[in-house]
Amino acid sequence: MARLNEEGQWIVLMGLLVAVALFFLAVIVNQSALVGQTTAEGVLEFPKNDIRDLREAVFDYVDVYEMYGEPTRKQLRNDIIEISLERKNAVVSFSVDDPQDILGHEMRPVTIHYNNGVTVYDETTYH
Amino acid sequence: MVNDAGQLYTMEGIAAGLIMLLAAYIVVSTTSIYTTGDTHIPDMQLEQLGSDVLAMMDTPDSVDGESQLVKFIETGEGNDLREAFLANCTMRSGDPDNSLRAQVYLSYRRTGGNVNTTPISREDESYTGRENAVRVTRWVQLTGNPSLPPDMPDDMQRSDPQTVLVEVLLWRA
Repeated sequence: MARLNEEGQWIVLMGLLVAVALFFLAVIVNQSALVGQTTAEGVLEFPKNDIRDLREAVFDYVDVYEMYGEPTRKQLRNDIIEISLERKNAVVSFSVDDPQDILGHEMRPVTIHYNNGVTVYDETTYH
Repeated sequence: MVNDAGQLYTMEGIAAGLIMLLAAYIVVSTTSIYTTGDTHIPDMQLEQLGSDVLAMMDTPDSVDGESQLVKFIETGEGNDLREAFLANCTMRSGDPDNSLRAQVYLSYRRTGGNVNTTPISREDESYTGRENAVRVTRWVQLTGNPSLPPDMPDDMQRSDPQTVLVEVLLWRA
């Protein structure tokens, strides 16, 4: 030990620092793969277009609500509910109430419920 | 005379070389991480394109008018619906995107009450069943027309207003 020169210790220290920094970089690289996976899964699983489409279908139904009697309305409602269940694996229900005066406009309260097992969507709006 | 006084320097040199190689490898590999999520981005884009085209085709040209989509469904022209759909999908600058294929299905409730799904466009010749297809859908309200053409399914409630689901399978050949 007597012959060892201790002047280069800061080089060893820097080496340690670099190693620690590399370790953190490796952790970040690992996580980026995981983040990409979960994000893509989240985007794919979220039924954005299904919900948008359902809303428009319900609003179309509200538009013709007064044109038809209750038997026809029930048919239209069951069309949406049963085809949703059969073709989209989604439990859907919606209801329309009597018009209310909303800031001078006669609008009907509409409640929409959507559940495909992964995403649950509830909305109450006026149309 | 062999002198072994410099062995520590040799070890240090080897260690430094390894660290530099590792650092270079990590730096190069961080620039192109191909995650599993990336593989689905074209699917997501295709699905959005199809949804947008169906929404556009379901929009009437005039107030209280009938949309193109409703017209195609009411007259039973599933093949024309597919042609119009694909034409709208490929209506953009640059790549004509000739490899895009589609198949149109219609879901409706039978007079008996249960749901039936039937293809209303001719089956694509190149379809193998292994395509990486996406499905886009659109609700369509039919006002009820007793004189629907014979192309439409027989067990549809022709005279009553009803809501049907147009489903388009979209893929690249």
